[in-house]
Amino acid sequence: MSEATQDYSNLPTVSPLGAPLDWAWLRGAKSEWGVHPKPSPRGLTMLDIAVGSYGVVPEHPTHRSMAPRGADIEPGTPDMGYILNDKADVWADNTRELYEEAVARQWSATRDIPWGELQELDDDVEHAMCQLCTLLTEVEMIAADLPAKWMWRMNHEFIEAKMFLCTQIMDEARHAEVFRKRALANGGGLLVSRNGATSLLRTIIEAKSYTQATALMHLLGEGFVLDLFRMGELIAPSDVEKRIFRMCMQDEARHVAYGTMHIRYSVEHDPDVAEEIHEALDHGEMILTEFGTAPDVSTALAVLLAGGVADVEEKGFPLSLEMSKKQFSSYLARCERAGISRLERTKIPLDLLGIDIETIRGAGRAA
Amino acid sequence: MKIDTLGFFSALATEMNAHPERYQPLGEADMDVVIVMRDPRPAPFAVRLAFEGIRCEHVVEAEPDSPCEYRLDGPLVAWQVMFDDIVARGRATGLQTINSLALLGDDIALGGSDPMGLDKFSRFNQSLQEFFDGASKALALEVAP
Repeated sequence: MSEATQDYSNLPTVSPLGAPLDWAWLRGAKSEWGVHPKPSPRGLTMLDIAVGSYGVVPEHPTHRSMAPRGADIEPGTPDMGYILNDKADVWADNTRELYEEAVARQWSATRDIPWGELQELDDDVEHAMCQLCTLLTEVEMIAADLPAKWMWRMNHEFIEAKMFLCTQIMDEARHAEVFRKRALANGGGLLVSRNGATSLLRTIIEAKSYTQATALMHLLGEGFVLDLFRMGELIAPSDVEKRIFRMCMQDEARHVAYGTMHIRYSVEHDPDVAEEIHEALDHGEMILTEFGTAPDVSTALAVLLAGGVADVEEKGFPLSLEMSKKQFSSYLARCERAGISRLERTKIPLDLLGIDIETIRGAGRAA
Repeated sequence: MKIDTLGFFSALATEMNAHPERYQPLGEADMDVVIVMRDPRPAPFAVRLAFEGIRCEHVVEAEPDSPCEYRLDGPLVAWQVMFDDIVARGRATGLQTINSLALLGDDIALGGSDPMGLDKFSRFNQSLQEFFDGASKALALEVAP
């Protein structure tokens, strides 16, 4: 349909009750009337409707209201108090793709886990699984609280980024749910919560800027949790836990993908933020290392890796060290990909862990 | 059926594509994967799998080092043990899930030059596991009278 093909000039100017009427929306706004985005085979996606001016996300939006991007916006809109008003503050080039993926891959902790197949486990293994689930129930919600803290400060022109963060919040609620359920479901329960976890979470939630916060949360924290989920799948004592960890792993990897590409976009468009990110990661790596080596976390993981306390020294701790090496390697490779190389700056003992720096540098060159 | 053949992976793709009801609840998965199986023969077998939505759209023979988002590379015997477990139990169990094998990395290694591609292994892991688990159906059909 072309613009203003109909004649709407004879419409009334006041309502039957005498109130003024506005027909501007019908007579042809300046917006791009007549676009026909074509659905892809899987339906009408956010990528499909990013057409013409509707697909253009401004680097520096000129207004700060909740008016939809692409609408014919009345001048003088109220200011919503946004402080993240540059695209580089929140954007990632994979945002739309990740939003669609998140919506398509939602799952239910009630329905999609075969809870009826849980098996009775040896006492030490059940305790270790419950301790791990206690920790995960505690830490997962930080990745919901943190976007919630910043989302209302994000300019509404970046709607796709906000929509993606909404899916992350739902994902994290489900993770807290599934680990709480697992802790209780097999005759165990929630075990010990130590101060170290909360110290790490406070570091993340109190970050000075969203970019620092996302570096700490998406790149560092969730990157480590992603590898922890992968490890959880490996050490899962039954198919029930294997399914739990695989489903959570998928969600977490989306969050890491957003964070990696957001940091990249941010640094490319505003190189000055690099130092700010480095400072956050300097501190974050130190806190995370303390947390990861905390006596309760490391013992529970080692028991699960060993399949019980009997082999914890011979098998559990050596495997745990091997897993830590993989976690740090993945994290450093993602930093390279994000354009924020940590190799010259990190205090992580790369030599001690046997991390191959050249392999990690290759990750940056792959971009 | 030998697992280091195009026919085997085509059978897995056919099994996946015939059962959208198993993959629809997991959601769409787009990934470009190379599987490498090495045995004492001079040339390893490599196959490229292109997943789009809830289908495996392309199964083509490839070079082991073909560009891809990620590759899973290991000795044929390790792959055989994994598929034997799937056929025996209906799905991969214990240390024979693809994540467990790739995380340990002793036999089957996860590789790729781009961390964003590598992370797709995690982003779509349940879909990939279902695809491999399809061997229990694909191979059962083959031996059925």
